[in-house]
Amino acid sequence: MRTLGSLALALVLASAGVPALAQEPISNLPRNQTLIVENPEGTIKNAGWFNIWAVNAGGQSTGLHQLAMDTFWYIDPQRGLDGVWMNSLASDKPIYNADFTEMTVKLRPGIFWSDGVEFTSADVVYTAELHMKTNGMRWSAPFQINVASVSAPDRNTVVFKLKKPNSRFHALFTVRWNAVWMMPKHIFEKVADPLKFDFNKPVSLGAYVLHSYDPNGKWFIWQMREDWQRTTLGRYGQPGPKYVAYVDPGPPDKRVIAQMNHELDIIHDTSAEGMFTLAKQSKTSRGWFKGFPYAHPDPTLPSVIFNDQNELFKDRRVRWALALVIDIKAVSMASYRGAATISAIAIPPTGTHTESYHAPMEAWLKAFELDTGKRKIKPYNPEVGKEIAEMLRPSLGDQIPKDPKEIAKSFGTGWWRPNPQAATELLQAAGFSKRGGDWYTPDGKVFTVKIVVEGEARPVMTRAGSMIAQQWRQFGIDAKTDVAQGTMNDRRASGDFDTIISWSVETWGGHPDLSFFLDSWHSQFVSLPGKSQTPRNWQRWSSPQLDKIIEQIRTVGFDDPKSLELGREYVKLMVQEMPVIPLMAYNVFTVMDETYWTGYPSAETDPYTDPVPNWGNSRAMMVKLKPTKQ
Amino acid sequence: MNAYAIYAGKRLLQFALVVFIGINLAFIITHSTPIDPVEQTVATATAFGSTSPEAVEMMRQSLRELYGLGGSLWGQYAVFWKRIVVGDFGPSLSAFPTPVSVLINRALPWTIGLLTVSTILAWILGNLLGGLAGYYRDSKILKIAGIVAMGIHPIPYYIVAFVLLVVFGYLWPVLPITGGSQMNVQWGWNATFILSVLRHSILPVISLVLVGIGGWFMGMRSLVSNVVTEDYVTYAELAGVSRRRILGAYVMRNALVPQVTGLAMSLGSIFNGAIITEQVFGYPGIGTLLISAVHTGDYSLVIGIASVSIIAVSVCVLVIDLLYPLLDPRVKVS
Repeated sequence: MRTLGSLALALVLASAGVPALAQEPISNLPRNQTLIVENPEGTIKNAGWFNIWAVNAGGQSTGLHQLAMDTFWYIDPQRGLDGVWMNSLASDKPIYNADFTEMTVKLRPGIFWSDGVEFTSADVVYTAELHMKTNGMRWSAPFQINVASVSAPDRNTVVFKLKKPNSRFHALFTVRWNAVWMMPKHIFEKVADPLKFDFNKPVSLGAYVLHSYDPNGKWFIWQMREDWQRTTLGRYGQPGPKYVAYVDPGPPDKRVIAQMNHELDIIHDTSAEGMFTLAKQSKTSRGWFKGFPYAHPDPTLPSVIFNDQNELFKDRRVRWALALVIDIKAVSMASYRGAATISAIAIPPTGTHTESYHAPMEAWLKAFELDTGKRKIKPYNPEVGKEIAEMLRPSLGDQIPKDPKEIAKSFGTGWWRPNPQAATELLQAAGFSKRGGDWYTPDGKVFTVKIVVEGEARPVMTRAGSMIAQQWRQFGIDAKTDVAQGTMNDRRASGDFDTIISWSVETWGGHPDLSFFLDSWHSQFVSLPGKSQTPRNWQRWSSPQLDKIIEQIRTVGFDDPKSLELGREYVKLMVQEMPVIPLMAYNVFTVMDETYWTGYPSAETDPYTDPVPNWGNSRAMMVKLKPTKQ
Repeated sequence: MNAYAIYAGKRLLQFALVVFIGINLAFIITHSTPIDPVEQTVATATAFGSTSPEAVEMMRQSLRELYGLGGSLWGQYAVFWKRIVVGDFGPSLSAFPTPVSVLINRALPWTIGLLTVSTILAWILGNLLGGLAGYYRDSKILKIAGIVAMGIHPIPYYIVAFVLLVVFGYLWPVLPITGGSQMNVQWGWNATFILSVLRHSILPVISLVLVGIGGWFMGMRSLVSNVVTEDYVTYAELAGVSRRRILGAYVMRNALVPQVTGLAMSLGSIFNGAIITEQVFGYPGIGTLLISAVHTGDYSLVIGIASVSIIAVSVCVLVIDLLYPLLDPRVKVS
């Protein structure tokens, strides 16, 4: 018994000493000079691998592609440091010949690798030629398909001769999250097999170099280069953080705890509940919007994607009927607890798109008529954004904006008015029938729809799918969700779904050109049923009218106003045909803690970039951030 | 001794059969999964950038060749066994071309360290308290200890872990809640690193010990309750042997034999990893690696981890089987 007494005493003494165990999150680095950022890739199982040109061999958003890589151009999903388009390693925009079979790039002089070697056109030629002759590198395929030859007339000029006309070839070198990163010729030319070279320690072209990393892949620390002026970011001034740590803080609840303890400056994404908790309990935490809905709308459009090769969904009347049964307000509440930015058109409501597409299309949407077979209706309700705002105002008060423009920016503008009667008429016109409260297909079977959702890996989309299934069930359709978990990518690619909650529309955000995703929607790329579909036409929709629009876009320049006109034609066609039901932007709850740093991008005061820190574009933040504690 | 040799030979054959069947099952299960590693890689590589459909199709084909997934299933099976017999699990498909063995060797020490310490601690504390509770049946403190141990034992592990996270990570933030060591600590046999690792392992160890202790406690208490009714214990008491000596030399020693077997089995299963622990506490180790391998459809890595686990558990069972007749005279080799 004395043993037990001694044990108890030892425990008491030990607990008294526990506070001494408390430590800073980082050893031997000044916290007030260190920015700590979440890396959503999680734990990198192959942490010592920095050869980003080998596909998925190591991490990407460990700071590697944000801070150490560079390429010709960046398009910012928001306003950019000095405009949406940033000439980075290139000193000017791409120069195409008349038929888009040649692209010339003028390089910015005075840019150096972190080991002191100057970046020149030889690095570009080496990067292109290595990809052209080596299979299995990250960008081997696009180089091999597009490039006939590449040459460097001088140290600062590169000419790509293309195998066929391509007015968007520069997109390969234009960062929207990532792009082809330039390789250091002087390092890789000494390597026997570029696919088996770990590139550790990486030679950097960005303003930071690798300081240290966890062999277990939990953290990576980058240090500002002493010669940061000799990088493309240098012209915007000295970066604020001397050190930037990219960490895996764990699941959403732990990210919230870490930020409350001021051990995580930027949360990449958390749950809606996590965001609301931080907004309530941490005075120094803020989102993209200062108040509700906080989240940044990514240029990505979660939608109900039909498998348009499925007999049931080949008829646009069926697709429209299912859209008219959805109450988007309930979906917004279920998925984002109201913090969603809705979109009726197949363009994400973010960046410059609201000015290029949403606002100009508003009149057309209001006038749009849908023939149900019995009558014509005007399905568009331009007030839904306001209705969501009013629905939230009693509980959130001043956090909800009053200015209609601000409401539109936060919650979107309009969507389709729920209209079960019109949906009934459309289904009946398509040969469906309703008996005893249940819908039957034209061949007499129960109308069953499975909605594939990802599960706990993407809870917001899963909750949206559950709500839509519930609404369809209430209408008499045998709808249920089917949780794919880790098989989501395989099922989406193989077309193993009736409908799926995912996105097939992704845009630049800061530029109205739609080719980023739309070119892949041409019917030439639609696979046969059962065969694997290449990104991004997951709906497997073929349309001669759309093909015509895509072919016309291919023939006009990236900045040509005709491209925008054609983009609006695409929007109209999508509304008429409804091959996917657009829901909302993919809102990311990026949360920034102002305890150690200020100058984060914000919707209200300085929307200079997308705050989501795994984007290559997020490097812009480094030159805007300022320490709060010297 | 002749009989023992036959017994040992049979056990060795059993061991080889179990390992062979286990590894084959791992191959079949991983290759039956609907998750295609090439599709996962393509999805990750094309998730954000602008890649044309022709390029994606070309990438698919070259990755399939690179990963050695081009041939028939039988061809892959033959290559698989050729590699296994020389202890090579091939390259990881989700961290290509890094060998699976490198990834496992990097993760395994963390899991072994964490689970060995927590398993042994739980075993010692559980058996000690259980033995005392079985012998000193009137002690109020031990009764309370029993209630606590039995109360915590059925609580799902993740709830215990989450409560610890909230208490020591948020309400009273004195302990790290994620990772194996502090950021920017130099790895090696230096005091800073060792202390940092110890600090980061406190919460995972406590969570495992809290949940694990109850089973050992209840088992030992029951065993001791039976042993104390044995004649030799009664005789020892009548002969005036001290209670402490009776407890240590007569009761606990005899009651421990099945608990030692249990310990050996538990130590063998260490190689399975502690998936939930590692996930909840963001602790590096084989469990974290396994989850990542499953999500990315990395057959090679899953098979590598499963094989290490199968072999480790089988070896432990084999060692126990071989040692039992030598250690416990009551077990006869027939």
